[in-house]
Amino acid sequence: MVLQTIITGLSIGSIYALMAVGYSLVFSVLNFSNFAHGAIITLGAYVAWAIMVHFFRVPFVPALVLSIAGAGVLAFLNERIAYRTLRQRHAPSLYLMISAMGVAIALQNILYATIGAKLYALPAVFSQDIFEVGGATISKMDLFAFTFSVFVIGLLHAGLTHTKVGTAIRAASHDMEMVSVLGINLDVLVAVLFLIAGGLGGMAGVFMGIKYMVYPSMGWITNKAYIGAVIGGLGSLPGAVVGGLLLGLLEAGVSVTTIGSVHLSTYRDVFSFGILAILLIVRPTGLFGRVFEEKL
Amino acid sequence: MRAQSFIRLLVLLAVLGSIVPCAVPAQAQTIKIGHEVALTGPNATWGQSEANAVKMAVDKINAQGGVLGRKLEIVAYDNRADRLEAVNVAKRLVEQDKVVAIIGPAQSGVTNAIREVNNSAKVPVIATTATNPKVTVNDNGSVVPYTFRVCFIDPFQGTVAAQFAAKDLKAKTAAILYDVGDEYSQFLGKYFVEAFEKTGGKITGNEAFRSGELDFRAQLGKIKFGNPDVIFIPTMQKEAALAAKQARDLGIKAKLLGGDGWGSPDLFDLAGPAIEGSYFVNIAALEDPAIQDFIKEYRAKYNQDPVLPNPVLAYDAVLWLADAIKRAGGTDGEKLKAAMEQTKNLQVLTGKLTIDPKTHNPLNKPAVIQETKGGKFAFVKVFVTTD
Repeated sequence: MVLQTIITGLSIGSIYALMAVGYSLVFSVLNFSNFAHGAIITLGAYVAWAIMVHFFRVPFVPALVLSIAGAGVLAFLNERIAYRTLRQRHAPSLYLMISAMGVAIALQNILYATIGAKLYALPAVFSQDIFEVGGATISKMDLFAFTFSVFVIGLLHAGLTHTKVGTAIRAASHDMEMVSVLGINLDVLVAVLFLIAGGLGGMAGVFMGIKYMVYPSMGWITNKAYIGAVIGGLGSLPGAVVGGLLLGLLEAGVSVTTIGSVHLSTYRDVFSFGILAILLIVRPTGLFGRVFEEKL
Repeated sequence: MRAQSFIRLLVLLAVLGSIVPCAVPAQAQTIKIGHEVALTGPNATWGQSEANAVKMAVDKINAQGGVLGRKLEIVAYDNRADRLEAVNVAKRLVEQDKVVAIIGPAQSGVTNAIREVNNSAKVPVIATTATNPKVTVNDNGSVVPYTFRVCFIDPFQGTVAAQFAAKDLKAKTAAILYDVGDEYSQFLGKYFVEAFEKTGGKITGNEAFRSGELDFRAQLGKIKFGNPDVIFIPTMQKEAALAAKQARDLGIKAKLLGGDGWGSPDLFDLAGPAIEGSYFVNIAALEDPAIQDFIKEYRAKYNQDPVLPNPVLAYDAVLWLADAIKRAGGTDGEKLKAAMEQTKNLQVLTGKLTIDPKTHNPLNKPAVIQETKGGKFAFVKVFVTTD
C-alpha cells in the first residue's frame, strides 16, 4: 500500500520533473516564467499522435525522437516570434511572461479550432505492461519514462557543465550582458536553450500521451510542474527535479489519505498550491534556489 | 338605397354567422398538444427523430379513434435547444395555440427555462430526456407543479448499477471512484452506495478525485486493498478509460461499472482492452426487445434508424398524456395534472410507467444495461429496479 503510493508518486513526479526542468532552464537565463511551455508539451504530444496514429504508423522510438525534435523546433519558433524582439528591446521580464501567456492561450485555441476537442490515445508501448515487486505493481512504461527522464536530465547536466555551450549558458544565467560583451552570440545561445527546453517538453508530452491521453487542454498539468520548479527553486536544475518528484509523492500521499470521512484527494490542489504559497513566504528561493542580487 | 345596403349588411352577417358556428365544432374536435423540440442546431439529430416519433404515436392513437372521441393534433415548434427560444415557443404554444400540454424539451436547462410559462398557464410539460433532478423538484424539496418527466433522473443510474451488481453479478463487495467536482458523478456515487448497502452488500472503498485529474492509481491502489467484486466509476468516458487502464495496470480484476456517461464510442479507442467486460447503465438501446416493433415501424416510415434515446421517450410521453386525458375526462389543466400524477403501471413502450406524485419522476423506470464487448456496446438486458 505504502510502496504502491510511493511508486505512483515517483511516476507522476518524474513527469513533473521533466516539465519543471524546461521552466527552470528558461528562467535561469531569461529570468521569466515561460508559461507557453505547457502548450509546447501539448503540441509535442500531438506531433506523436499525428505520426503514430493519424497519418503514419511510426513505431515508438522514432516517434519519440521526432516529437522531441518537433517540440524543440516549435519552442525555438515561439522564442523567435514572441520573445526575441522584446528581449532585444530589454523589455522587463514581466512583458515576456505576459507574451508567454498569450502564446499559450493562442496555441491551445488553435488546437481546438483545427483538430478539435476530441480525446485521442497513443498506442501502448509494452503489450504486457506491468510487473510486481513486493505486492506493488510497476508499469514498464512508467519505469521506462522514469529511467529515460533521469538519463536525459543527467545528460543535460553533463552538457551544461562539460561543454562550451553549456558553460556559456551557465555564464549567461549569472550575467547575460557580460556574456554578450565577451563575444558570445546571445541569440544563438537562447535558441539552443529553447530547443533543449522544448525537446524536454515534447518528451514529457509523449510520455503523458501514452500514459494518459492527448487533448488540447492537457498542458494544464504544467501548472503542477511549475509548482515543482518553484519548490525546488526556479532556475535550479537539481531543484526542478527534486521539486517535481516531491510534489508527485506529496500528491499521491494526499490522494489516499482520509481524515474521518473526508477524502483529502478532494483537497489535493489546495495542498499543492497552498505549499506554493507558504514556500514563497518562508523561503522564496525554493529548496535549491540562489539568492539573486539586483543586477545593475 | 339605405334599406338596400342594410339588407346587404344583414346578408353578409348571416353568411359570416353561418361560417363561424360551422368552424368552431370542427376545431373543438382536436386536442392540441405542443411539442418543444430542437429541429435545428447541434441537437437537431435527436430532435428530428423525436418529432418523427411523436408524429408516429399521434397517428397511431388517431387511427384508433383518438382520445375521448377527439383527434390529437401536434403543434411542433423548433426551440434550437436554446433557453430563450424555448420560452418564446412555450408562450406561443400556450397563448396562441392554446395547447393542453407540452411534450419536450429534451434538455434540463431548457426545461427549467420554460417553467414559469407553463406553471402560470397550468399547462403540464413532459420533459423527454431532462435527467437533472432539479428539473421537477425545487431546492426546498417541493415539486414543480406542472413539470413532469418521462426519463429517469441521473442519480437513479446509481441505484440501477448497485442492484444489477448485487442481483446479476452476485457482487457482495463494491468500491466507488468518483469525481468530487462533478454533481452527476457525486450523486450517482451516493445513490450507488445507498442502494448497494441496502442489498446487504459491503462498500470496501469510497475514493474520489478532482475534475481534470488524470492519475487515479493512488486511489485505485487503495481500492485494490479492499479487494471488491465490482468498482463503480460514474464518470464520462475519459475518466472511465483512464481508470480502467490504470486499474488493470495495478492488477485489479474487479468488474467495472458505470453510468450513461460511458456511452461514447471513443471509449474503446481510449481504454483499449482494459474496458472489456465492463457494464454500464443507459437510457435506451436499439436492441431492447420491447421496442423492436417501434423500430420496425419507424424504419418503414422514415427509412432510417431512430436516434435514441429521445424518440422512445417522446413516444412514451404521448401515450402517457393520452391516458391521462382519458382519465381526467377532459383537458382542464388542473385535472390533467392530477391524472398525470396518479399514473400507475401504465403500459408504455419501454415498460410500465408509474409516476411519483412527490417528485413527478417515473418510479422504478426500466433502464438498459450494456456491456463493453469486442470493442462494441452490447445489449445485456432491461433492468427494472425494486424498492
